Amino acid sequence: MSLKNLVTDWPRYRQGIEEGGFQHYEHRWGMAIDLNACIGCNACSTACYAENNLAVVGKERFAKGHFMHWMRIERYWDENYAEQQHPEQGAHFMPMLCQQCGAAPCEPVCPVVATYHTPDGLNAQVYNRCIGSRYCNNNCPYRVRYFNFWSYYESSWPEPLNLQLNPDLTVRDKGVMEKCTFCVQRIRVAKDKARMENRKVKDGEFTTACAQACPTSAITFGDLMDQDSAVTRLWAKHEVSRYDDKGRPVQEQNKAHPELRGYRVLEELNVDPSVMYLERVREELA
Amino acid sequence: MQLIGASRTHAGRYGWPVMAATWCMAGVLSVASAAEPVSVQYPIAPQGSHNGVDVPQPIDFPHDIHTRDNKINCLYCHTYGRQSKVAGIPPTSKCMGCHSVIATDKPRIQQLTEFWEKKQPIPWLKVHDVPDFVHFTHEKHLKRFIFDNPEVMNDLSVDTVAPVCALCHGDLRAKTVAKKDKPMTMGWCVSCHEKNGGPGDCWQCHK
Repeated sequence: MSLKNLVTDWPRYRQGIEEGGFQHYEHRWGMAIDLNACIGCNACSTACYAENNLAVVGKERFAKGHFMHWMRIERYWDENYAEQQHPEQGAHFMPMLCQQCGAAPCEPVCPVVATYHTPDGLNAQVYNRCIGSRYCNNNCPYRVRYFNFWSYYESSWPEPLNLQLNPDLTVRDKGVMEKCTFCVQRIRVAKDKARMENRKVKDGEFTTACAQACPTSAITFGDLMDQDSAVTRLWAKHEVSRYDDKGRPVQEQNKAHPELRGYRVLEELNVDPSVMYLERVREELA
Repeated sequence: MQLIGASRTHAGRYGWPVMAATWCMAGVLSVASAAEPVSVQYPIAPQGSHNGVDVPQPIDFPHDIHTRDNKINCLYCHTYGRQSKVAGIPPTSKCMGCHSVIATDKPRIQQLTEFWEKKQPIPWLKVHDVPDFVHFTHEKHLKRFIFDNPEVMNDLSVDTVAPVCALCHGDLRAKTVAKKDKPMTMGWCVSCHEKNGGPGDCWQCHK
C-alpha cells in the first residue's frame, strides 16, 4: 500500500458509522449463519484448516492458548440446564469467525497498518507488514484474531500432508497475527475470472470453504451489494440491515415478530459486522 | 506442476494446431509488414533497473535470434500468459515443431534433440520468480496492456508485444539467455500501478 492509498482510501473505506458509513463498496461480502441448522459438527472449522493452511498446534499448545483456528464452534449451555425440562437439547452452538466489521476496532490500533479495510469491505491482514504487537487481538470484541507463536513451515507438516497445502495462500511465519479472510483467495479468483470475461461476479459462483463444507447448509455467503444475492435476500427477510430508515446505524434488531430471528453479535458496539446469525428456536423451557 | 496443468487446459480449450497456426500466421505477417519498428504509445514503464546474475540454463537459449531476427511472437512460445497466472516455458515438442527441420546442424539444437530423443524434459531454470506471498497473474496484465490495447492489437507482432513484456522482463530482443533486468520489488510494482491506474489494495497482490 502506497502512502497515497494509506492517507486517502483507508479512512474513506472505514468512514465512521456515525457519519453514515461507507456505502460505495465494490462488493461487500457478507454471511448469514442459521443456528437452527447448525449441528455443531465442526466441518466448517476443518474445511478452514484445509483451505487456509492452518497449523494444527497440538493439545499442549492449545491449552496455552496458541491455537489458530480461524473458525471455531462456540458452545453455550443454559444456566442449570441439567435440571431443566429438556436437558437433552444440549448446548447452543455458534460458529464464530471474523465478522469483517465495517468499522472494525482492530484496524485503527495497528501501529504499522498491517490490518486495514479493503474496497470489498473486508478486514485485511497483511502478514508481511505485521510486526506482532497483538494490539488488534486485544481490541477485537469477538476474539477471532490468532497469533502465530511458532513457525509452521511446509516441513512441519508430516508427510504427505505437506502436499495438501494450498498454494493460493502463504504459510504464515512466526510472530504475525492471522485471521479469517472470507477465503479471499477464492474471491480473488472469482473476481479475476469475471474481469477477464467483462462481467460482474455472479451470486453463487463461488463460496467460502466453511459454507461449502457445511452439511446442513447453515452458512450462506454472498455479496451484500448485490440486491439479488441469496445472502441479501436472507438479510432482508429477517429485517437485518446495517442502517435504519434515517441512515443511522442499527444498534438492535427489532425482535417483535417471532419469525424474525436475525441478529448480529454484539451489535450494540456499533462495529457493523458482516455476519448475520439466525437465532435458534428451542422448545419452551419451563 | 503448474506447467502441466496449464498445458492441459490449453490443449483442451483450443488444441495445439489451431493455436500454432494462429501465431505462425502472426509471425509470418509481421515479417512481411514490419520493415520499420512501429512507434506505439506504451504504458508508462516502471523505473529502475537491476543487474541480475546470469542463470545457468541447460541450453543457452538465444532469445534475440528468435524474436529480433526471426520475428517470432513472445506469445507463440510463452503461450499460457494470455489465460493463466504463469506465462510458462514451452514444452520440448514446441521447440521440435520447428527444430526437427531448422538448424539441425547447430550444437545447441543437437543438445535439444538429445533431450527430445531421450524423452526428457529440459530442466530450464526460473529467472523471474516472485515470492510465494505474491499473487501475480500474467492473464490480467496481458489483457490490460495487449488485448485491450488497440494500438497493439491493430498490429500484433513481436515488435509491439515485446515492449509490453519488456516492462518487467527487459527487452528480450536484445538478450540471448533471459536475465533478470528489473528490480521486481514491491515499490517498483506499485510505482507502475500508480502511474497506470492499477489497483492499490494490498490484498490484490499479497496473499
